Parts: sequence; structure tokens; C-alpha cells
Amino acid sequence: MNTLKNWQDLPLGGVIVEAGSAAKYETGSWRTWKPITHRQHCTHCLKCWEYCPEDAIILEDGRDSTGAARKFVKEVNYFHCKGCGLCGRECPVNKEGKVKALEFVRDEV
Amino acid sequence: MKNVTAGNPKIVPLTGAGACAQAMRQINPDVVAAFPITPSTQVVEDFSTFVANGQVDTEFVTVESEHSAMSACIGASAAGGRVMTATSSAGMAYMWELLYVAASMRQPVLMTLVNRALTGPINIHCDHSDSMGARDAGWIQLYSENNQEAYDNLVMAARIAEHPDVRLPLMVCQDGFITSHSIQTMQLEDDKAVRAFVGPHKPYHSILDTDKPATWGALDLQDYYIEHKRGQEQGMRNALRVIQEVSDDFARTFGRRYGLFEDYRIEDADIVLIALSSAAGEIKEVIDEMRTKGEKVGLLKIRSFRPFPYAEIGKALSHAKIVTVLDRSASFGAHGPLFTEITTAVYNYSPNRPLLLAHTFGLGGRELTLRHIEHIISESRICLDKGEVGNRQGLWVNVRGDKL
Repeated sequence: MNTLKNWQDLPLGGVIVEAGSAAKYETGSWRTWKPITHRQHCTHCLKCWEYCPEDAIILEDGRDSTGAARKFVKEVNYFHCKGCGLCGRECPVNKEGKVKALEFVRDEV
Repeated sequence: MKNVTAGNPKIVPLTGAGACAQAMRQINPDVVAAFPITPSTQVVEDFSTFVANGQVDTEFVTVESEHSAMSACIGASAAGGRVMTATSSAGMAYMWELLYVAASMRQPVLMTLVNRALTGPINIHCDHSDSMGARDAGWIQLYSENNQEAYDNLVMAARIAEHPDVRLPLMVCQDGFITSHSIQTMQLEDDKAVRAFVGPHKPYHSILDTDKPATWGALDLQDYYIEHKRGQEQGMRNALRVIQEVSDDFARTFGRRYGLFEDYRIEDADIVLIALSSAAGEIKEVIDEMRTKGEKVGLLKIRSFRPFPYAEIGKALSHAKIVTVLDRSASFGAHGPLFTEITTAVYNYSPNRPLLLAHTFGLGGRELTLRHIEHIISESRICLDKGEVGNRQGLWVNVRGDKL
């Protein structure tokens, strides 16, 4: 979390003079439900990463069974995750209904 | 302070709207976006002639509505331009949400507002319901008694609005038809002198400066919105000082002196009338007449309604025994906006407690004659002798069916 500035220290009119400053904005504080990844069930199809509106699904480099380079789901960035639930809604493993690769639980406040 | 020589001014006959168009020509703004509406039409009409004749370098944007006009003004201002427009009544009402955007984005857009009644029933004549409705939008509001003042206020406008301690939009108000369409003899200053007085525009984080990219108009929530509003309020508070500084420099350059308000024969006045814009001219005439009969009466004409100079006005009214406020707009179910401000000024900043009398007049262009003013002053004297305003409080002037 950034230190919030006093009004005297702000540029006029709400102008934002720093590129990419949205990354510093903690949208995670809006969350009431939080996604938890269960990697043992995850097929790493990356649908969650594709649908996430906040770019909060963090990927990591790895290799598939044939040895080819590809991306794998690593974890959720809880600083940005608003808990919208899209990742869990789009997850094909969740849709199958037997197990959950992305489970939503009440976030502790 | 700038060292500008006045050059060669001319004495010319102009309408109030024409005078503002001349000021715009001399200022030569980067962008003008406007949609014509009675009675401000001549401002835009004259200015478009200057554009067509090549007398200005302005990019003139003919938009399809006032909502678009103000949007274009805000965009052009954020791009770093000096921007002007003109409108009236329903035109400004249609700009409504954008008025707030211009002010909160701290874009010093300059507007000639020719005051006209807000419908309905539909009416094209003068009252102040348009600008009074917009009083909380965050615009500086300067009111002009006559053509000369409207012109002078617009010449001063850019330096006030664009001052780094202010950075707020500004509207110069004049009375529809009464001022805008009346030809008066006035002093038109030298083109070069005006341009030198106004000076170049210094953009603030222009969106066209690609070396220093900036985002304007982003979402602002609970964590910063109120801090930005506090900064906006500070711009208004600073404007009280800046309006006077620029006015003093204007007086040094062009010789006409303006304050945040004008006091007329109030030093020993028992009765002080308060009004905005053109009504002040008639009131002065009646004051002179009644002074010869021994009535101690004066006038306080407000020039800067936003920001409102509470302390200065409270001090100026410290010897008055009754203050009669003439509002040219109604706040239905409440006293007029000028009256409530004067009450605040007197209560907080005046050592004495004069009687305060509220009157509403002139809606939709209903005339206020010299005899009406005389009657208002006589009625104020009766209240003063009785020591109370009683049932005269809140009376409307020159309305059939009411007594005043």
C-alpha cells in the first residue's frame, strides 16, 4: 500500500503524471471472496489468466511432458485481485464439477 | 506586475455581446467551441467573422450542442490551449455536467455568459437563474454592470483563471439584452496592449506533450477524491487575492479600477442596497436623486460572486442600518442566493447587526424602473424606523398582485 498524499502534494485536477501507476493501486481491498488455486487439479489451460480483468493470475515458465517451453499457473496476486470470480466461473475443471482447481472462499477481513 | 503601455485606445459604440467578441479577438485564443443561443449569439457570430476574416488564429469548432461545446473546450484546454466560449440560459444548463468537469479538472476555460432566464414558460430575457444555478459548479463568476465592465472583465479573465494558484474556469456574466444588445459608448483598448497584458498561455501537463505523458479525468474514489476537491477549493480561495492583483495591474495599465465589489456612497449610508450587474446602474441614479432629498442611501455592487468576499463585504457593511438585497433569481422555498451570502457575510464579519431585507425582482426580464427602486428605498426606510422588516421580508418587486 502506498502512503497516501496530502492535498497540497497532489498535481492539480487529478491529473496522473506517472505512467502505469494503476499497478500501485490496491484493488485487492475491494474483495469479499477470494480464489484459491489447487494446483494438483489444475490443467494449466490459462483460461483464468485470459479472463482475469485485473491481470491478477501470475504465471511461471515451465516445460510440458514433451519438454516444450510453456506457461503454468503459479498463484493469484491478491494485491490486485478484486474477487470478481470470473476465473472460477471460466475454469473448465470447475465446470466439470468433480473437483475444483479454483476454489472461492470467504476472504478474512 | 507587467509593464504594458496602453497604446492607442479607441472610444467606440458597441453592444455588450459585441464588446466581448472584441475582447476575444484581441486575446486570440487557441480554440473557441460554441453553439449559438439567444442572447449570447452575437458573441459567437462576431467572433466567427473574425475567424473567417483571418483576424485571429483560433481554431473555431462548430459543435452540435452546448454539451459538446464545453466537452470540446475541456479537451482543448487539457491539450494545452487557451480556450473560450459563450452561452446563455438553457445552453449553459445543457453544459451542466461539463461545467463541473472543467472546474474539477482545473481547466481555465473562459466563458462569456449572457444571463437569461431558465425556462419555463420559455423566456429569452434576463435574469440570473442560469448562473446562480451553476454557482456551485466551481467556476469563478464575475458580474458586469455595463458593456465596458463586461469587456474589461473578459480582458482580465485569462490572467485570473490561468494563474498557477487558481487554475479554474471563469465566466464573465452580463445581463441578457439589457447589456448584451444595448449599444453603449465604451473604451476599446489597443489590440497589442491587450495581448501584452493577457500574455502567453502556459499549459499545465498538456496531453499533447508526448515526452511527459499524463492522464486526465481518471476515476477518483474514496482515497483521493476529497483531497482533489480540497485543492479545488483552495484555487477558489486564492482567486480572491488573484482577482484583486490582476485588477490592480489592469488599473495601472488601462486606468479603470475594479475591486471584488464596488461600493457607491455607502460611507455614511443608513440604507445599503445590494445588487448584481445592470440593475446597479439604475440604483446609482436613484441614490443620487434621493441623496439630494437627504436620504442616506448607498449601493454595494457585487463583482465577484464566486469566490465570494465575505470578510470584505461584512466590513464594508459595518455602518449600515438596513441592508436590502435585490436578487434577480429565485431559489424557490428559500431566500435568493445573493441574500443568503450577504447574510453570512454580515453575521460573521460585520461588527453590527443591520436589518436584512430580501427582495426578488426582474425575473424573465421584468423591468426594474427608477420608481421601483425609489419605492424599495422608501420601504427600507419604513422598516428601519420600525426596527423590523416584518411581512416585507421576501417580497417580490413589480409583480402584479404583490404590493411592492
